[in-house]
Order: sequence, then structure tokens, then C-alpha cells
Amino acid sequence: MTATLRSLLRHETILAILLVIVLAALATQSDRFFTTANLLNQGRLMTEVGLVALAMTFVIVTGGIDLSVGSILGLTAILLGVFWHNLGLPLPAAMVLAVLAGGIGGLINGLIITRFKVPPLIATLATLALYRGLAEGISQARSVRGYPEWFFVLGQGEVWGVPTQLWILGVLVVIAAVVLGLTTFGRATYATGANETGARFSGIGVDRTKMLIYTASGLVAGVAGVIFVSRVSTTRSDMGTGLELDVITAVVLGGTSIFGGRGTIIGTVLGLILMQALKNGLALSGVKGDGTIVVIGLVLILAIVASNIFSREGDG
Amino acid sequence: MQPILALDGVSKSFAGVHALKNVSFDVRPGEVHALMGENGAGKSTLIKVMAGVHAPDSGEIRVNGEVVRFASPREARAAGIATVYQELLLFPELSVAENIFLGHAPRTTMNALDWPKMRNEARRLLDDLDSHDLDVDARVGSLSVANRQRVEIAKALSQDARVLIMDEPTAALADADARRLMDVVRRLRDRGVAIVYVSHRMPEIFALATRVSVLRDGAYVGTSDIGDITEAELVSMMVGRPVDQLFPKANTEIGATVLELRNVGYRDEIENISLTLRAGEIVGIAGLIGSGRTELALTMFGITPATSGEILLDGKPIAITSPKQARDLGIAYVPEDRGLQGLIKSQTIRENLSLSLLDRISTASIINRAKESSLARELIKRFGIRARGPEQRVRQLSGGNQQKVVLAKWVATEPRVLIMDEPTRGIDVGAKAEIHALMSRLAGQGLAVLMISSELPEVLGMSDRVLVMNNGRIVAEFARAHATPDSVGAAMMQTQTLAEVA
Repeated sequence: MTATLRSLLRHETILAILLVIVLAALATQSDRFFTTANLLNQGRLMTEVGLVALAMTFVIVTGGIDLSVGSILGLTAILLGVFWHNLGLPLPAAMVLAVLAGGIGGLINGLIITRFKVPPLIATLATLALYRGLAEGISQARSVRGYPEWFFVLGQGEVWGVPTQLWILGVLVVIAAVVLGLTTFGRATYATGANETGARFSGIGVDRTKMLIYTASGLVAGVAGVIFVSRVSTTRSDMGTGLELDVITAVVLGGTSIFGGRGTIIGTVLGLILMQALKNGLALSGVKGDGTIVVIGLVLILAIVASNIFSREGDG
Repeated sequence: MQPILALDGVSKSFAGVHALKNVSFDVRPGEVHALMGENGAGKSTLIKVMAGVHAPDSGEIRVNGEVVRFASPREARAAGIATVYQELLLFPELSVAENIFLGHAPRTTMNALDWPKMRNEARRLLDDLDSHDLDVDARVGSLSVANRQRVEIAKALSQDARVLIMDEPTAALADADARRLMDVVRRLRDRGVAIVYVSHRMPEIFALATRVSVLRDGAYVGTSDIGDITEAELVSMMVGRPVDQLFPKANTEIGATVLELRNVGYRDEIENISLTLRAGEIVGIAGLIGSGRTELALTMFGITPATSGEILLDGKPIAITSPKQARDLGIAYVPEDRGLQGLIKSQTIRENLSLSLLDRISTASIINRAKESSLARELIKRFGIRARGPEQRVRQLSGGNQQKVVLAKWVATEPRVLIMDEPTRGIDVGAKAEIHALMSRLAGQGLAVLMISSELPEVLGMSDRVLVMNNGRIVAEFARAHATPDSVGAAMMQTQTLAEVA
């Protein structure tokens, strides 16, 4: 194994050890935690955050951020209801259109960031408000219910004993890991984040790379939106509020540098599982909601500090 | 005369690696003692030992004959030893006077800052440096590099420095500014300041220094009075072997025109540029910083696409609108700023070498890692890049080796036109000679090379043809035989008037 891969895996190794400790500790705290049913159910609950975190890993590796993902999720959820219920489109068509609308939301982010050179934090902070406002304006505080039974397979059903959406997450994890780790596009992503000018001067299409990544971020937020609606059986305009914070926490916990240029999909997946395990396990052990947030915050700091201490090598 | 600062048998190692081995060095009042050596020879470490940044593991430091131990740079400064580092440590948002007196500003009896005194003192210090035109209230961020450097020197002198250590003070300066800086150094020397002067520029050393000392691989090689040594001897002391030729320009057969520019312009930065580059030819561009040299390169490479005129490749008109397109057309650019533009310093040598040709080592977008590694190993060997291996991070390499990585990564794209912007800036003589030899060999293989350089000897030594830029235009063209320091220098310096020289 190469030196680069080793130094990149270092954070992931620490995280994996931490995860095992946490799982073991939680299993001793509550006998309802370490059961197949509970674990699969947790997988179901973390899928939306997980999907968005995959694209967010790319975004953060380029040195950017996408705060608008929660709002895009909310907007696509509303649009799904509007397309199907109000416009009378067939549900499959409405699903596709809603996801595409999410992609357009991401494309707009990309355009603002690359064409007008607005820092991603500002650009997506603005569209966070914009898309949420649109969602609320369109929905007029009405929720859409009464979806057909087959639609709930996506969010509530199972395939071969595993929640449907976990299969989708699994497939996308593999695709994202391959794209980021093994392809020219992944290399362009890392180079852009590590030194944008240097990447541009090396003939990398930096703007194209970013456009694709922000668009993909919007698209998966759209997919997550549709799954969310299917899971909770209803459409409301406040869906996905605050999702971006969970997503960013999972990605950063997974070792992706917020300054860009560093990060892996494996790390993000570990970060995601660790976060979900803590939320669920602590709740089962009787810790209240605010307590859980405190613990997640502490774990985040601990993981970052630990990996900073152990990965000094290579910074000469 | 007794040395004011003397180091005796100083050794220093970092994590088991010897940076300095038993080095002795001294400097006397009123002399300029040049310190030379290739990158990684230990110059920086030696400077930092003198400046109190590093404490030596063994050996002693004497100031005026008394043994001292500096626990911090502050103590070294208190002993009268000031250092002007290569990277200037100024605060861009503060004024010139504030920067000069930062940390030791004069106070009134009420212990408030004594602004009038501070400004007057700053004025006096700058006047001493012959910088009457520098406003003490100017924001440092608005100053040129040359002026910032004067502020840094004034800051060093504001604490009554008796020893001034200067680390490559002219590396970032254009010729005119460098000459002015050298006048400042002479003035300080004549006032009795002892100056330790680090530079890679030979002419400067011979013009300024009283004595010169050479380090190699952390060891002391020798000291000589400047009158007793020739440039070639000095170079071989640094490199440890005789260097055959300073500019190994081979005579190559010059082929057909590859790239032609006709009246190319970009906004108001460059105007009416017409030039031809032929296979096997090295064309040098001379000109002061700001004459439009780099702007021309950026236009040819598609960073700032031409806004007027025509560009022809093999006689066919083309438009170059992005670096990616330039690369695909066979135009490579080894940029001026290695760290920012040329390399991804946090990545490995392998990743840097493959970045411009990822398409060629991948199938259906999946990078072939075996191919990538063997490409990297081959390039490391072919370009003589001194590194532990392809997985070493580029930021750990010396300047010369970093430059070889940039050059290798672009040559690997098999370009037809190679534009090199300041190809040897800030790298040591050994690496410099290797880069010149490479350049010559590449031209011999039929590449059209366009070389931009601030070093006139390099332009004159390497080019088949010399173009002179001034004020965004090409003002003169010389064949190799007619390019002399006087003729080219005159064209570089002339104001406005356009000369038509054959």
C-alpha cells in the first residue's frame, strides 16, 4: 500500500476503532441497541443524511461547502407533492421531475460560485434561504398525503430483508468511492481543493469540476427528498431543516479537511455510522436529545484532535 | 579586526538528520560576508542559529569575543543581530512607521505611543537607506516588493543592529531594484555594520562581498577573500565537482515555424505582439518585471485569452481559450510561481507528475495506478529529481527539485511549444545548470522553447534569438550574435520610444 493511502487511511483507522468502542459501549448500555431490527432501522433513518454526505464529501474536498442541501431536500419534497397532487402528473414522472429540480437547484449554486466568484459559504447560505422560501411559498403550509401504497416501498419497504433505501445508499457509496478514489474526475477534485490555481495551470477544468459537483449535490439532495417523503408518508415544507449540519458533521468527522484537498468516502461512511449510532444508542440509554448533541460535538472535536496528533507526518 | 559575531564548530541536527556539521563562520564590522551553497546545504539553518531561532546542539557562538547562548530571536536582536528573511514578515494593513517600530515603539512620558517621534525616526531610518521617496504613512500592503524590503531593513536597523543577516534579499527583485538594494548594502557596510549576505546571484556576490564562505551538505567547505576566487571555482566548491559550462547551449538545427502570433493583444496589458517560434529554437524574452512578459505567456497559455490578433499553429489559425485547450494543442507553460501555479505542493510527486496527462494514463476515466507509478519513476530518473521516491510530498523537496518536477510534468505531455517563465528563479547553481542542460536538450529534440527570464546572462546564454519587451510590446529583436548585455539592456530600459532593431 502506498504512503499516501496510508496517511489518508490513518484518520479512518482511528475512526473505525472509535466506532467499535462506541458500539461496544452502547451495546452494554441497552439490550435493545445491538439487535438486527434496531440496526437496520437506524440504517433506514440515516440514509437521507448519508446520500447527501456522499456528495458533500466531494464539495468539501474542493474546499467548498453546500449549506443549501436541506432546503433543496425540502423543495423537492414539496415539488413532488405539487407535481403529483396539484398538477396531476403520474407519480413516477413527478419523482423524476422533483429530483431534476434538485439538480437545477445545485446547478444554480454552481453557477453562482464559478461564474460570479461568490464564496460557496455565502452563495449557498443565500440559496438555503431562497429554496426554503420557495418551498414554503409553493406549499402554502398545506401538506400532501395519500400517496399510493407502492411508493412507500422506497422509504418503508424492504428488499431481501434490508430497507430499500439502504440498497440505494450502498450503491451510491460504491459509485462515489470509485469516482473520488480512482478516476480522473476524483483527481481533479482533490487538485482543485488543494490548490485551485495550480490545478487550473495544469489544464484541469476547475470550473467544470465544481459545476458538476454542486449539481450532483443538488441531485442527491433531491433523491434524499423523495426517499424522505416515502419514509414519512407526507410532504411538508419544513422537511430537511438543519440537515446540512448533520451532513457536514458526518463528513468532517470522517476526516475530510474543511480546507479542501483531503478526504475519503470510507471516512464519510464511518463518520455517518458513528453519528447515527451515538444518536440512537444514547436515546435508548435514556439520554435526552440535548445531551446527545453535546456528545456528538465532543466526539467530533475528539476525532479531529486525535487525527491531528497522529497525522503530523508529511507536513515538513 | 576582531569579528563581531563568530560561530565555532556549530552542529545542529533535526530528528537525527545533520543540518549543520561542525561549521565555523564569522563576520567583522564593515564587511559583507557572503554565505553560499546549494539549497539544502544548511544556509538557512546557519542563519537561524545566528538569529537565535535554533539553539546549536554543540559548538559556541561569540559576540564581540564573549560566548553567548540565545534562548530566543528576541535575545539575538538585543545583542544587535537583526535578520531580514526571504519571506518578509510585515503587516500589510499597518503603515510603514508602525511596521518599523512594531514591538518597540517610542513612548511618551504618559506611556502612550509617541506618534510624532515614531514618524520622525522612521523618516530618518528610511533617509539613511536613501529611500526619500517612501512615505512613512503609506500602508505596507500598497508598496512594491522592493519597498517592502526597505521597510524590513529599516525595521532591522531601528534596533541598532550591528550585524545584519540578509537571506536572498534580491531573489524577488527586478534588476533595477536589486541594484538599488546593493547600494543600500554598501552604505550600511561603510557605516560599520557587519553583513551576512546569502544569494544565488553570482554577479552580486562579486560586486558586494568582502569574503565568501561555502557550505555543502551541512558541512563547512571553505572561506575565501573574494579577490582570490573565480566564479567557476566558487561554483565547484558549492557543487563539489567541476561544472563544465555555465550555459550549455547546443547548436541545434532550427526547423519549421510551429507557433506564430500576429498582432496579439490582451486588454491593455499587451499590444501588437507578433512573434514566431520554430522547432528546435530557444527564444528568450528579456524585459523588466511589469513589461508584459508574463502577461504574454498567460495569453499564449489560455489563462487570459487574446482579445485581439491571430494565433497560428502550423499555419492554421487557432483560438486558445483555456489552459486545458492549450495543453491539448501541445502548448506547455512552466509558470513563474512554482508553489502557487506550478505544483500542488501538498500532494505527492506522482500525483503532480500525472496531473496534466491524466487522460493518457486512464481507461474510461479510471486511472491506471501502475502506469502512473511507472511514469513517475521514469520521470524522476530522467529529470534527475532528487527525492525519496514517487510518494514523497512535493513540498518537502528543495526549490530546484520542485522546479524539475514542474518541468518534468509538462515535458511528459509531449508538447510542441514549451513556455518557461523564470525557469531558474530562486534555485541553486547546480540545479540551475541541470535545468539549462535540459532546456538545451529539449530544443535539440525539436521543441520550440520560449524562455522568459529576469536574469540577463541566462537570456543571453541560452537563447538563439532574444526578444525585448517593454511596456506591453516587443520593442526589439536580436539574433544570438548581436545580443549583448548593452544592446539588450538598453532596449529593456528605454522609455516609450520604440526601436526597430534587426
